[in-house]
Formats: sequence, structure tokens, C-alpha cells
Amino acid sequence: MLAFRGSDTSSRSTGLLLRCVLFSLLALGLIVLDRRYGQLDRVRRVLSVIVYPAQVAVASPFVGWAWFRESVTTRGALRADKDRLEEQLRIAQFKLQRFDALEAEIRRLRALRDSTAGLGERFIIGDIMKVEIDAFRARVLVDKGARDGVFVGQAVLDAGGVFGQVAHVDQLTSVVILISDAAHAIPVQDNRNGLRTIVVGTGDVSRLKLPYISTAADIVKGDLLLTSGLGGGFPAGYPVGTVVEVKRDPAQSLADVEVSPAAALDRSREVLFVWLPPGAPTATDAPLEPPPAVAPKATTPSKAAARPKAAQAPKP
Amino acid sequence: MMREERVRRLPMALSALVALTLAILPLPEPAAVFRPDFLVLVVFYWSIESPRAGGLSLAFFAGVALDVIHGVVLGQHALALTLMAAWATHLRLRIRVFSILSQSLTIFALLTGYQFILFWIDGATGNPVTSFGRWLAPVTGALIWPLLVGTLSRLHER
Repeated sequence: MLAFRGSDTSSRSTGLLLRCVLFSLLALGLIVLDRRYGQLDRVRRVLSVIVYPAQVAVASPFVGWAWFRESVTTRGALRADKDRLEEQLRIAQFKLQRFDALEAEIRRLRALRDSTAGLGERFIIGDIMKVEIDAFRARVLVDKGARDGVFVGQAVLDAGGVFGQVAHVDQLTSVVILISDAAHAIPVQDNRNGLRTIVVGTGDVSRLKLPYISTAADIVKGDLLLTSGLGGGFPAGYPVGTVVEVKRDPAQSLADVEVSPAAALDRSREVLFVWLPPGAPTATDAPLEPPPAVAPKATTPSKAAARPKAAQAPKP
Repeated sequence: MMREERVRRLPMALSALVALTLAILPLPEPAAVFRPDFLVLVVFYWSIESPRAGGLSLAFFAGVALDVIHGVVLGQHALALTLMAAWATHLRLRIRVFSILSQSLTIFALLTGYQFILFWIDGATGNPVTSFGRWLAPVTGALIWPLLVGTLSRLHER
């Protein structure tokens, strides 16, 4: 029998109204304080420590399962894994040899131009916690917070490229907004010709878009977009995505460009928080030769502009 | 009276805690949109069943917990939940004698009002969610309401 057995029949409507108004005013006060004056960060941090155990409790079965699966993998799987990782490492080291030389060269050239050598960002790694935050916003909870020096607006990368930025920081955790969130935008530069624009999220984790590209702009399918570093939030030169589709409607002044993100936004389990060194370099003024480590087959900018197809599939 | 209230507080706290856990349990992408607002339903239940035990303070603090979890402006869920729980408390004598279908419909109205306040504050604070999906939660919430009433009334009648 689905029945309530409560027995209070006294109608205390006035008391109810009073309490309702009181709590509503309190909530409105919180909203105004938080939104208009940003005074509640400390309160929020304390509260987040209180809900942290619940979040850990929810995340722990997933952690436990991952640990269990790792502990019971067979010798064969481990060997295959090791072979694959060794091969990756060899390739990475091979590329890194050139990278070191190139970095030295960039330092030298920057020294010639009297600008600070802003290479060598500092990183820490954070684990994404398996906790739902909001079904309608692309956000994840990461287990690094104010205690580790994470700050709001900090750039977050994963192994493939730019992942997002820190939306807000609690004591032990932080919330990262993905670049695919509909409210997120990031300044980028086309790796082929230096074209600067802004990548905006769509709410779909596998798709980004370039809303501010005119139909006449030189952008083609396969172009790699790197962070330009303009605005100072993100370090320059990290891959954001690849252009997968360009729709040009002559009747419109803006082209419809779709980008697929370079980072594994829906699969990554670890992310990197980046600290920019003071005086980090921003976008280059003129299109430089693309860094060979990222796009070994790209041609020089003038040739590429003349034959756009030459620069397709630049990713190694 | 005092004794009775003390007895009732434990299941209230327990059910709120379980609902909070369900609210942050990760679901696969297509199912996450259909997740009912468990904590809101539990708050409604206790507002109707025994408004004196927790009442609006339960609603307010559950709302603050939701604000912290969702990482939105502090006070948003608290305001929505307080207003709707007050309405539920106001209607409690009628809701208790409703058939289960009418109860579900009333809960649907309350949940929709709750979502509407959230929607409104989202827009007012400048980060709107325009997806139609957010209006699915009241539907699923109304659908599981009979189940929730059955479970919770068993729980505290023991």
C-alpha cells in the first residue's frame, strides 16, 4: 500500500510561508554573493571537502575494477603491452632527438630577436574521477585542486592535445571544462598558413566548429589547428584539432567548418595541468615553417596556399 | 512527539545520502540524460511525509550540496528546491490522499517547476543549457515516484 501515514493535521501555513521566504532569501543572497562579488570561493572549497567522500565512494568501484583488471592480466597481454610501449617510446625518442635540436634553435633565434625563451612549461598529472557532474555540460572532475596549486583558467592537456581549462577549483578537486563544451572557445592558428581564428565547442564531444571563418579564407580539410597562445590562457603550439569538413555556401559570408578534436575528450583518464612560464611566447606574427615534429609532410606556406591538397593528412 | 521525530531523522538522512550518491553515479552517455533528480524526489517525499522532521532546512542544504556537486552558482539548486519543497509541504494533506497516479502527476508539476527555476537562473547567470534534454528528468522522476514512495515508506515503517 503506497500511503503516507503522517498525522500532523495542524495547518501551520504562516510558519511555512515565513520559513520559505527566509530560506529563499538566503539562497538568493548566496547567488548574488557568489555571482556578483565572488566572495564564496572559500565557502565552496570547504563544502566541496564535505562532499568529497561521497565522490570518492562513487568513484572507488571503478578504480577498484581497473586495478583488478590490471592485476589479473595475463603474461601474454603484458608482454604485448610492453612491446607496444617500447615501440612507441622508440618512435617518441627518435622524434625527440630532432625536437631537442629544434628547441635549441628556437632559443637561439628568440635570443636574436630579444624575446624571452618561453619554452619548458611545468606540468602535473591529474586523474579524471568517474563522477557525473552535469549531463548537459561537458565537464569532468579531476583529483587535483587548490592544494596542488591548480588555478581557475589553467590550461589542461592530454596525450593528444588540448583537453580544456579549469572551470573552478576546490580544495582537493577541480572541475575542468572540455573544449567541446558549448560555452568554451579557444584561440587557434592554422598550422599550414598561420591563419588565426577561434575554435568553439558544440556540446558534442567529437566535434568542434570554427564559426568565424569567412568563405574566402584559406582553410581546407585536413588542416591542423594549434593553440596560438593569444589571450594568455593556453600555451602556444599544442594541437587542438583537425579540420574534417569545410562547407562553403556562396550566399553566406561565413563558412561552416567542422573540426575533430585532437585530444581524446571522452576516453582520456589522465590529464596534464600546465603552468606557463612568465613571458611565454604568443602567436607568431608571420606564418613560420610548421614544426616538423607535428607535420613532417607539410610544404612551405606559399606552395601550400597554391596547392591546398598538398598539406592534407599532416598528422604522423 | 520528540521521540518520534528522532526516530524519523535517521531514515531521512540515510535516504538523502543514498540519493546524493545516485545523483553523482556516472551513467553511460545516452542514459545520463534520463537520470531523475533522486535527491529532489527524496526531499519532496520527506516534505510530504513529515515536514517537521526536516522540512525546508533539509531542502535548503540538499540544494547547496547539489550546487557544490554540479559546480554551478551557489544557491541555485537551494532556491529551486526550497520553493518547490515549500509548495509540496503546503499541498501535503491533499497529496497524501491522492491516488498514486495523481501523486505522480503532482510530482511531475513540482519537478517541472524545479527545472524551470534552474533554467531561469542558468540563463540569468549567463550559462544557459538550451538542450531539450533537461526537461526529461521531470518525466522520469514522476515515473519512478511510486517506486520511491513504496521503498521509503517500507524503510521507515519498520
